[in-house]
Amino acid sequence: MRTTLRTRRAAIALAAVGALALSGCGDDGGSEDKPGDGKDTGAAQTVELPKLDGQTLEVSGVWSGPEEKNFRKVLEEFEKRTGATVNYLSTGDNTATVLGTRIEGGKPPNVSFLPQVGVLHQFAERGWVKPLGKEAQAQLDKNFSKGWKDLGAYEGKQYGVYAKAANKSLIWYNTEGFEAAGITEPPADWKSFIETAQTLSDAGWPAVSIGGQDGWTLTDWFENIYLSQAGPEKYDQLAKHEIKWTDPSVKEALTTLAELWGKDDLIQGGADGALRTEFPKSVTNTFSGDSPAAMVFEGDFVAANINADTDAKLGEDADVFKFPAVGDESPVVSAGDVATVLKDGEASQAMITWLASKDAAEIWVNQGGILSPNKSVDMAKYKDKITREIAQALLDAGDDFRFDMSDQAPAAFGGTKGQGMWKGLQDFLKNPGDVEGLQQQLESAAAKAYKG
Amino acid sequence: MSESSAASEFSGPTEPKAPAEAKAGPVTAPSADGTGGRPRPSLAARIASRSGGGVLRVFLILMALLWLTPTLGLLASSFRDPGEMTESGWWTVFTEPSQFTSELYSTLLGNDTITDALVNTIWITVPSTVLVVVFGAMAGYAFAWMDFKGRDWWFVAVVGLLVVPIQIALIPLARLFGDIGVFGSIVGPILFHVGFGLPFAVFLLRNFFAEIPRELLEAARLDGAGEVRLFFTVVMPLAGPALASLAIFQFLWVWNDLLVALIFTDTSSQPLTVALTRETRAFSQNIETLAPGAFLSLVIPLAVFFAFQRQFVSGVMAGAVK
Amino acid sequence: MSTPAVSAGAAGPAGVPPAKPRKSVLGTKPGVVVLFLLPALIMLGALVVYPIGYSVWRSLYDETGDGFVGLGNYGDVFTDDATFTALKNTAIWVAIAPALVTGLGLIFAVLTERVRWQTAFKLIIFMPMAISMLAAGIIFRLVYEADPDQGVANAVVVGVHDTFVESTAYPKASAPNWSDMEGPRAKGPYTTKSTVSAGEPALLPLVGLPPDKVPGDPGPAKAAEAAGDKITGTVWLDFQKGGGGEKGVVDGKESALPGVKVEAVKDGEVVASATTGDDGTFALPKEADGAQLRLPASNFGAAYNGLDWLGPSLVTPAVIGAYAWMWAGFAMVLIAAGLAGVDRNLLEAARVDGANEWQVFRRVTVPLLAPVLVVVFVTLMINVMKIFDLVYIIAPEPVQDDANVLALQLYLVAFGPRADYGLGSAIAIVLFILVLPVMIINIRRLRKEGPR
Repeated sequence: MRTTLRTRRAAIALAAVGALALSGCGDDGGSEDKPGDGKDTGAAQTVELPKLDGQTLEVSGVWSGPEEKNFRKVLEEFEKRTGATVNYLSTGDNTATVLGTRIEGGKPPNVSFLPQVGVLHQFAERGWVKPLGKEAQAQLDKNFSKGWKDLGAYEGKQYGVYAKAANKSLIWYNTEGFEAAGITEPPADWKSFIETAQTLSDAGWPAVSIGGQDGWTLTDWFENIYLSQAGPEKYDQLAKHEIKWTDPSVKEALTTLAELWGKDDLIQGGADGALRTEFPKSVTNTFSGDSPAAMVFEGDFVAANINADTDAKLGEDADVFKFPAVGDESPVVSAGDVATVLKDGEASQAMITWLASKDAAEIWVNQGGILSPNKSVDMAKYKDKITREIAQALLDAGDDFRFDMSDQAPAAFGGTKGQGMWKGLQDFLKNPGDVEGLQQQLESAAAKAYKG
Repeated sequence: MSESSAASEFSGPTEPKAPAEAKAGPVTAPSADGTGGRPRPSLAARIASRSGGGVLRVFLILMALLWLTPTLGLLASSFRDPGEMTESGWWTVFTEPSQFTSELYSTLLGNDTITDALVNTIWITVPSTVLVVVFGAMAGYAFAWMDFKGRDWWFVAVVGLLVVPIQIALIPLARLFGDIGVFGSIVGPILFHVGFGLPFAVFLLRNFFAEIPRELLEAARLDGAGEVRLFFTVVMPLAGPALASLAIFQFLWVWNDLLVALIFTDTSSQPLTVALTRETRAFSQNIETLAPGAFLSLVIPLAVFFAFQRQFVSGVMAGAVK
Repeated sequence: MSTPAVSAGAAGPAGVPPAKPRKSVLGTKPGVVVLFLLPALIMLGALVVYPIGYSVWRSLYDETGDGFVGLGNYGDVFTDDATFTALKNTAIWVAIAPALVTGLGLIFAVLTERVRWQTAFKLIIFMPMAISMLAAGIIFRLVYEADPDQGVANAVVVGVHDTFVESTAYPKASAPNWSDMEGPRAKGPYTTKSTVSAGEPALLPLVGLPPDKVPGDPGPAKAAEAAGDKITGTVWLDFQKGGGGEKGVVDGKESALPGVKVEAVKDGEVVASATTGDDGTFALPKEADGAQLRLPASNFGAAYNGLDWLGPSLVTPAVIGAYAWMWAGFAMVLIAAGLAGVDRNLLEAARVDGANEWQVFRRVTVPLLAPVLVVVFVTLMINVMKIFDLVYIIAPEPVQDDANVLALQLYLVAFGPRADYGLGSAIAIVLFILVLPVMIINIRRLRKEGPR
């Protein structure tokens, strides 16, 4: 699960926080800061940070294990430059509980990564997140495109920095499977994608592995098809629930999706098997085992799972192509973790300034496994070619990418186990014939969730 | 504790039943219509009773296996090469012993987070156990042997608190602990476990103390012992077994807790259960952390259990059956 | 959370003020009473009673805590789908689990009475009591793993199944879309659209098996030759590794599929049948002339993969099974202790009177044990109403709402993305109210029994 599942759960978590926090938010943590006389250590530093000797900060994120190790590298450099001590809190699978009660207990982390736009808005509304200071804003203006900045803003104020992004419009494939089936060219559009899947299946390879036990992978399928087929305007409208889920464009997208989901022999283990497969398992099922699947869909973070859980080599045994164009163009659906200040003060502001800087982003991407929407990052810092290309694709999309729809939706609709989009698409995978029933189901769930 | 004494607790009535059965066998034979007609001796009944013994034994062995298998699976998994885990079942380890490796454990124990958490677990478990025993004993004694108005109703009220689901207290106590500044430290879970451990402690110990013969206390009283001295020099030593069983319960409860610690501790004060869940990503991918971790987390309670099984069982039975 | 403490506590019949209060040993000074009681009462008041009061108050407000909604949240408990499912499941749990566990405990206690190694047996059964819900949950995720190569439950089920049912020769083999055959993919049967005639060898290509993994590694297929008035033909795997070769033509490199049953069908009646040889060819007698050829489903169909333990229909029984595993020892030990107190003479008398063992058990032992059985049963009932961890850990995401119980729903509502602490508090109070009568009945009953 490396990134996303975590990400999702964190999202959930944070949604909880807002509501739980009944009393005022944490007190100003950094009030006793003494501005130090900054004597510089490094040579080519692109960001100025205050001296914070003797201070302690807490930064929370959803990462654990190797991802945590990578992120800690970023924090370590901050410690070196400022003299502060930084503790990292991994909120793990229980982010909601942890952050919700932490705010109740008056001890929120200084800086926390929120994984959903909707959560950021909820937070901002309740005054839980603090606006960025001047320095952080300067870094942000310098390094981020308007699209990413807007995603971190609410009602004209800038609250968040997208220090980490994900490109969720990728299909990873097992090169051995493609070779065995004699496929030389990755499919560029949906029709040839389905044909490719059929050929793979004829060759005895389960064509697609789907991690249907995690509802978010299924919503990502839909979002990519919808964005490409119905176009960005419709996508935005649907994300804001300005058009209904009973709209013909939704029907078209679902019908398209059923071309794949309706054929059990194209899905590894059939639909039933897919519903029993968690996202990470869908990756290992594609790149290891006796009878691996040929393709698996999900974002750049799949690379991390391939590296950690299989023996497959990226670029040799495993490769990637863009999500096929269903309409005129291939979709670019993205997601990201937004760093926010939960506890104002000099140290917190310094941290978020740091996270918005080119230096921090370069350290982080250099560890591998993440993309940065920070446009100042030197592409050479990405460790491998595949990630570099994915990162480039994300940057090239400029402001034309669209943020994960389920992340924009209210949590009850877009990010809850057993509810809303997650549940709806799981039901659809089980029963791909019932397009209209699903539309009704989604619309009534959406109507309930968006009204609040 | 000696092994035999431990065993005796589990072995129930020691009086052999076989003779009784043998005696009854030939005599009894229920009439086939089951209306309780006159008994007639029958060869069939005897054979049935013989072979019944065999069936019984097989059944019990099967049950024992059924009960052992899940734990065995976890143990076997924790000693396997992680690469094998997604390929084959844990039971293949017995036919292909080459899969055996202690690698997972050395990785796990080499992880500072886990070892620190192990220490935290002890720091949380020991004080909350001691406090519950002490406070519970004092209150239990008061309810058993002191006169005050509404004593029995107070006692019922305390026992009634046994049914409070702990989830109810998470948010209010988060606020409370935040206000008094113990949120995020080990003090939080300690207090929480003391609060929710006390109803049972008071209940168990009050029942135990009530069984102490009055004469014993009166005699001590006549010797001039004050209430406090009486409690510490006479009552507490007498209550050894009850205190021990309570302590074991509380120990196991706190040791195995996840939810409370998850909420009230932070990275530096987290116990083992929390550290494990935080190290964990999705289930299938992390069996290599989960299996040895879960086993590690249950080794100590099991050791405690086997060491003190007598007290544990008598604790379960306390009050229920006399 | 089910804890030994809580359950065992409730088990005690002595939770009753005896009718005649014991006199203090000496008139105790009020100061001393306060000294002894105060620590416990302060702790209980602050840590248990205060939260109850807070929750009652909080349950009257909406999710943010700002809007007073009166009893609205309590209405939601019964109208909200997910919460109502949880309520229903809790009812199922209460109806099944305590009786099941008490029954198991009774059976074990009675049966082991006369077994020499009963100590070892009881230890084994009782051991899970010392295991945390977390570890138990992990243990049972392993047990119920769907893949029969990993989950022991399915390994057994599949083992038994395969002993009685023969597996198919070519699971997953399909008739390709472009061929003359029709039928449900990967299942069969596949029937030719056209009819056969003698002198025109039939070509029955199949796909969907990896060419390098054909069972038995047969040699290349041979195109059948016409043989008088017999009907001949070839069944072969029409796919080469790498995708070469011409579709629908036996080109000498493609693998034969020996052992496939071929039926000739006229008007729905099987008129002849044959089995393919090592080179994939078959020959049917002349009766088959003009018939359609059918490859029956017995050739195909996926291998049996066991039960979907954690699927929507079995998940609650599966988790109850795990619960029984944990708690049977508790019931057994209590009942065994009760059994030890039963007057042997009564049993002997019954035996002498000619009762068989079953009658002794039902008419004498069980009535004598009734008090203990009730205590065990009631304790388990209280415990089961609060069940949380096991369901939370064992039930996978897509079925979590199918397996939901009240205590889990409380947690999800309050700490999940809904972050509705108002509703969460209401559920907590409902739970408390549901458990309370059981407790009161217990206390009443014990009061009636009076002091011993």
